[in-house]
Amino acid sequence: MSKVTARRQLQGLAFASPWLIGFTLFIGGPIAASAFYSFTDFNLFQSPDFVGLDNFRAMLDDERFTRSLLNTLYLTVVGVPLGLGLALLVALALNADVRGRALYRAVVYLPTIIPIVVATYLWRWLLNAQYGYVNRIIGVFGVDGPTWLEDPAWTKPAVVLMGLWTVGGTAVIYLAALQDVPAERYEAAALDGAGAWARFRYVTWPALTPVTLFQLVVGVIAGMQIFAQPYLLTQSRLNQAAGGPDDSLLTYGTYVFQNAFVHLKMGYASALGWVLFLVTMAITAVLLLSSRRWVHYGS
Amino acid sequence: MEVAVKLARAFLAAGAALALLAGCGGSDDGSGDGPTEVVFSYLWAGAEAQALEQVIADFNASQTKIRVKGVSNPDFQKQLAAMSSGKGSFDISDHFGNGVGAWASKGILAPLDEYIAKDGFDTADFVPSALEQMKYEGKTYSMPIALHTQMLLYNKKLLSEAGIAAPPQTTEEWAQAIAKLTKRDGDKLTQLGYANAEIGTSLTTLGYAFGGEWFDGSGKATPNNPGTVAAAKFYVDNVPGKYGVGAVRTFTSGFGEYASPQNPFYVGKVATVIDGEWQAAFIKKNAPQLEWGVAPIPYPASRPDLEDTTQVTTSTLFIPANAQHKAEAWEFMKYLLGKEAMVKFSHALANLPARTSLLGDPAYADLPQFDAWLQALKSPNAKALASTPWAAQYSTDLNSAFDDIAQMRKTPEQALAAVAEKTGSYE
Repeated sequence: MSKVTARRQLQGLAFASPWLIGFTLFIGGPIAASAFYSFTDFNLFQSPDFVGLDNFRAMLDDERFTRSLLNTLYLTVVGVPLGLGLALLVALALNADVRGRALYRAVVYLPTIIPIVVATYLWRWLLNAQYGYVNRIIGVFGVDGPTWLEDPAWTKPAVVLMGLWTVGGTAVIYLAALQDVPAERYEAAALDGAGAWARFRYVTWPALTPVTLFQLVVGVIAGMQIFAQPYLLTQSRLNQAAGGPDDSLLTYGTYVFQNAFVHLKMGYASALGWVLFLVTMAITAVLLLSSRRWVHYGS
Repeated sequence: MEVAVKLARAFLAAGAALALLAGCGGSDDGSGDGPTEVVFSYLWAGAEAQALEQVIADFNASQTKIRVKGVSNPDFQKQLAAMSSGKGSFDISDHFGNGVGAWASKGILAPLDEYIAKDGFDTADFVPSALEQMKYEGKTYSMPIALHTQMLLYNKKLLSEAGIAAPPQTTEEWAQAIAKLTKRDGDKLTQLGYANAEIGTSLTTLGYAFGGEWFDGSGKATPNNPGTVAAAKFYVDNVPGKYGVGAVRTFTSGFGEYASPQNPFYVGKVATVIDGEWQAAFIKKNAPQLEWGVAPIPYPASRPDLEDTTQVTTSTLFIPANAQHKAEAWEFMKYLLGKEAMVKFSHALANLPARTSLLGDPAYADLPQFDAWLQALKSPNAKALASTPWAAQYSTDLNSAFDDIAQMRKTPEQALAAVAEKTGSYE
């Protein structure tokens, strides 16, 4: 290595050091620690006891573990594609050449800037079975709305519905991608006699696939970690551990939290965390592998 | 090269500054001049917190060495998390008696015996069963500041409208009253004779009232016995089983906040509830117009020996093991436990005092119906949950079983048997 390259290396590292130091201290360290704790019985207060694979074995018999994993998969598998689909529709609508377009775009984006805690408390009231606006609107069509937050069959749809409220963020990214599609392609397609659907199917959609893949992966990772909404919706007096009616809103994230900080089973919680990491990795890998079949890059 | 060296130096300096900051975090230990600050983080909120702040102000005015700062934090999870760090963010806090064992066994609480012995603090005046609950493996880890009992509250107006002259004495009379006090508009409920039994304390109390036990004498959990099952059945048969789970769920989903004027009992949506003595203060503040009465919790007619059953719970004060000013926190705790402060505090919150000598104190005479809860404390059928290392786990499992029962996803037998199965793995 020449002197110049060495200096450049050092300079580069120096510039990256705030992040490097921060990562090592606040992320890398805890990750390593949780890997160690996952093989121990640790209550946060007394020194950990090594228990080998006991924590991982315990998951096999833990019905709340299975429950939380299934609840989380439900929210992800239903919520993420639905969110992407709706965001795409919204983006297509916002891309139309109408008056006041900028205003509509701003309005659609607005909900995403509302803090998640505020939004969740707001939805708690909107979804109230007796007085909530959601059921009042449903009532206009002569249908009795469900008891969203008390009926185990409806709590997860309620969370999915809340998620759809913030599709504006995704829609704006889709909108940017839509505007990147070269106009010539539409012209060429129109000359070839392509209708609206054919233009979308063969011109627009292929151009949107890279963005879709990105949003899908990010959405799935976020979905598997969902915590704030179910945590806030199931809160009871004095904030005792809760999973909603019939544990229907016990998500993986809330279960990890409860084990770590309510039942003080930090060892088990660490093991749960690692399993979530592996599951998320596996799903992401499958998505990336599948992308070869449906994602089109460049022209 | 120069640039790199300069940068490296800058980062070193920044790193040192960071380390310094971390080291200094919360090290305001008052070793200098002026009083030592003791942080009192408490679970009380709203009007109760205001009353408590008065007592804190009294203490601060009474001496110059210690300054207590009160912080209202009604959040179990936050409270526990704060105690897991090396240096505590508070020096004294409160919890409930059945949680002492869980926290003491994990080293979360500082033992108080040393302080009690050093000051010759007399504990003989404290209600013995409450004091016993404060101990784990022979050491005292908390002190009782207030006691609570559960009684049947009823809405006088709704009872007389339904033609019921006196509150029910037996569970059979209560069942009839619930039927008379429940009203429907079409298939929609507009009034319930009894509601929210699935709240932990209500159903555990009801379990005792039907002769059930939640623990055996040795501190083992016994969720599934004829009495506890009968209690759960009573609720299912008389409310959700009778009027429909869906109808009850829709009706209760519209209930207002517990500690607000919209509490369903205050607004007449529910005619009878099981609740604690603090309602004497809550109702005075939130529903002064409410015509209400208090009666002993009904007992099965075939079991007159279960008359006057109640559940006693304890509010405790403790010093966390990671507190930074333990000696000063003890001084403040001693003050709160003193007769004068305890009367003031328990009167303001309408809580039962934890000292035997205060049980007949005239100070409580102006609290409506308060005497009923005070008398309940003396009942031979006053029961309490044991304080075990796994209390939180048991309570989580019971609450989810109560929910299953109230929503009729499982029969009482099934739900309680499922909890019994889990108790084997508690540790």
